[in-house]
Amino acid sequence: MLGTLAFATIALLVTGYVLLDGYDLGIAAIAPLIGRNAQERGAAMASIGPFWNGNEVWLIVAGAALFALFPVAYASSFSGFYLPFIVVLWMLMFRGIAMELRDHLDSDLWRQFWDAAFWLSSVALMALFGVALGNLVRGVPLDRHGYFTGTFAFLLNPYALLVGVFAIVALAQHGAAFARLRIEGAPAERAARLQPGLWWIALVLYVALTAATFAVRAMPPTWLIVMPIISLLGLLVLRHASRTQHLRRAFAASAIFLTSLLVEAAGTLYPYLLPSFPGGRGGISVADAAPPSSLAVGLVVTLGGTMCVLIYAVAVWRGLSGKVRVE
Amino acid sequence: MDAAAVDRLQFAFTVMFHYLFPIGTMGLAPFVAVYTWKSAFSGDSGAAQAARFWTRIFAINFAAGVVTGIPMEFQFGTNWAEFSRRTGAVVGQPLAMEGVFAFFLESVFLGVLLYNRRDRPSPLVAWSAVLVCLGSWLSGFFIVATNAWMQHPVGYVMEGDHARLVSIGALLFSTWAWWQFAHVLTGALLAGCMIVAGCGAYYLLSGRERELGRRFVRAGSIGALVFATIAAFPTGDGNAKDVTQYQPIKLAAMEGLFRSSPHAPLAIIGMPDTVQGILVDPIYVPSLLSFLAYGNFSASVEGLSAYPASQWPPIELTYYAYHVMVGLGTIFGFVAALACIALALRKLYEARWLLWALMLLMPFPYIANEAGWMVSEVGRQPWIVYGVLRTAQATSPTVNSGEATFTLIGFAGMYFLLGVLFILLVLREIGRGPSPEGAP
Repeated sequence: MLGTLAFATIALLVTGYVLLDGYDLGIAAIAPLIGRNAQERGAAMASIGPFWNGNEVWLIVAGAALFALFPVAYASSFSGFYLPFIVVLWMLMFRGIAMELRDHLDSDLWRQFWDAAFWLSSVALMALFGVALGNLVRGVPLDRHGYFTGTFAFLLNPYALLVGVFAIVALAQHGAAFARLRIEGAPAERAARLQPGLWWIALVLYVALTAATFAVRAMPPTWLIVMPIISLLGLLVLRHASRTQHLRRAFAASAIFLTSLLVEAAGTLYPYLLPSFPGGRGGISVADAAPPSSLAVGLVVTLGGTMCVLIYAVAVWRGLSGKVRVE
Repeated sequence: MDAAAVDRLQFAFTVMFHYLFPIGTMGLAPFVAVYTWKSAFSGDSGAAQAARFWTRIFAINFAAGVVTGIPMEFQFGTNWAEFSRRTGAVVGQPLAMEGVFAFFLESVFLGVLLYNRRDRPSPLVAWSAVLVCLGSWLSGFFIVATNAWMQHPVGYVMEGDHARLVSIGALLFSTWAWWQFAHVLTGALLAGCMIVAGCGAYYLLSGRERELGRRFVRAGSIGALVFATIAAFPTGDGNAKDVTQYQPIKLAAMEGLFRSSPHAPLAIIGMPDTVQGILVDPIYVPSLLSFLAYGNFSASVEGLSAYPASQWPPIELTYYAYHVMVGLGTIFGFVAALACIALALRKLYEARWLLWALMLLMPFPYIANEAGWMVSEVGRQPWIVYGVLRTAQATSPTVNSGEATFTLIGFAGMYFLLGVLFILLVLREIGRGPSPEGAP
């Protein structure tokens, strides 16, 4: 029971991360398309300037919560996916450095370099996160202690790569919706023009992915059947709202679309955190959670603490709302 | 090299590089908070300039601290999987608390602080500066609480090879955690004061920013004297008493004491020779070690020979790190005392030799802080969790030395780039100075 709650907590934190840092990554992915010069790309970066750091904390907290609540899954997955994981760390660092240092020197060459670094590291992160999620859903070979026994090449299977591509598109779409909310002028107009194309690609990939998931996994639990309906509704509302200039509604619809996908992934995985390949039966499950005493403390801290954070973060962020101009 | 050796090297390198930045954030945060507060509520225009200046430097430190901090949290899983698997249910708790209670606080309110564009900060901005300071100290506390459990495990029981948490209160309120945190924070504050004083000294020596330069030198020197004193007593002393009680082998290694003896002397200098088991060319203060450890000049202190060599930490590194820390701390206290005397005699701002000393001392608090952590961490070896789990048994079974070497080289390259950029940007901010003429 506590194990299930802990599983849901991790899923919640990951969802928080994807929704929030997702728009940072998405903005980065489309920055070269919506910003034609250093000033316009600067506005794209400034639109996420006060937020990205706090958004990234969701990832850190999710990692720490996994450590505290599911030490076995934490140890096995982080050491098992050693190289991809370290590359994720490097890319997170590179993105952070690019964000922070870009405006410290008044030189176009300097800015161009960091703009490119920002784009490259963000796209790599989305792809890596997507591939990781794909492998989680598909399952990985594990030994009896729960340690990964596969190879690097095993992780680069077609299904996981498809999830990787889909992650880039879905988050780019999320970023475009956010860009229209936060930026004024030419970059926002270009973001609006990108939306229909991204929408169609996202729809096609979504359908392909749903079919592929049935192929790599056994039947998911029946209640999950509502999730694809919510996903499709989210997509439809997103399209309609972006066309009719209901920008907040469009961003919310994109968030609902992403949330429904993650709930579906979590529902498919449950009760496993790290299912074994093939078939996703067996592996590290909620039964391998930390002892109840740790779960109780960890859950109070992560759930209670995150609620407090949400209250003050929302209050503060309201004060920072408004649009960013191209300077 | 075997995988465990590379894992150790990578962790030592990444954590030592990372720690350079928390020294700056924990040490400078109170200056940011006080100057911002003054400019918000008293309309002090000098304080407003100082607040913006130190906020800019703080922000560079913070960003570098965040990007180098994320790999620390995740390396427990990547390179130390056995450690995580066996003890994560316990050590994971303070780490999760750090994320939830400290990181969010810092990052949300730093956002407010950095996007403040007004000359006179609003009350929200002033409070944000205070909360950022609180966040950076809380973050330090939870990390030290994690480390304190590895030094002196409490509030748990072993079930098979897994640690089960019994009492989170025992972990957070262990004597080790509080003495160590007090000492770590004092070290960072001492560094912050020396940076502020050194920066002010640079301005006075180069004949610019006279008003703020004097302010920085004054505040920094007084603060440095206070914290250099607290670093020795009570916080350093409190730490040493814990070490004496719970890790006597570390104490013997720190002091280069090979043979147990009553009236144990304190070695001011000397070079340990681990083959012959003696301290070469020592200068001793008789009986002082007995007094410092037990409050009694005739107490017997156990030497390294009382323990099998398989239980020894690396002696040379522990010994020198400890002596470097104490030696530098003494020098800081001495120079700060001179500066405060000159200040009282109203001669500090013209005493160029003293300003030179303050300026040139700027990098050394970093060395002293890092050396202190080396005593703590190297001296804990061969254990990762003292008396419970050996470091050599704590690595990831699936990560071989080739993989770890590749990532170590990658981290080295990444951190070289980051280090160069950091120094470039901070020097540039100092060069621009706090006055509005230099501001963008």
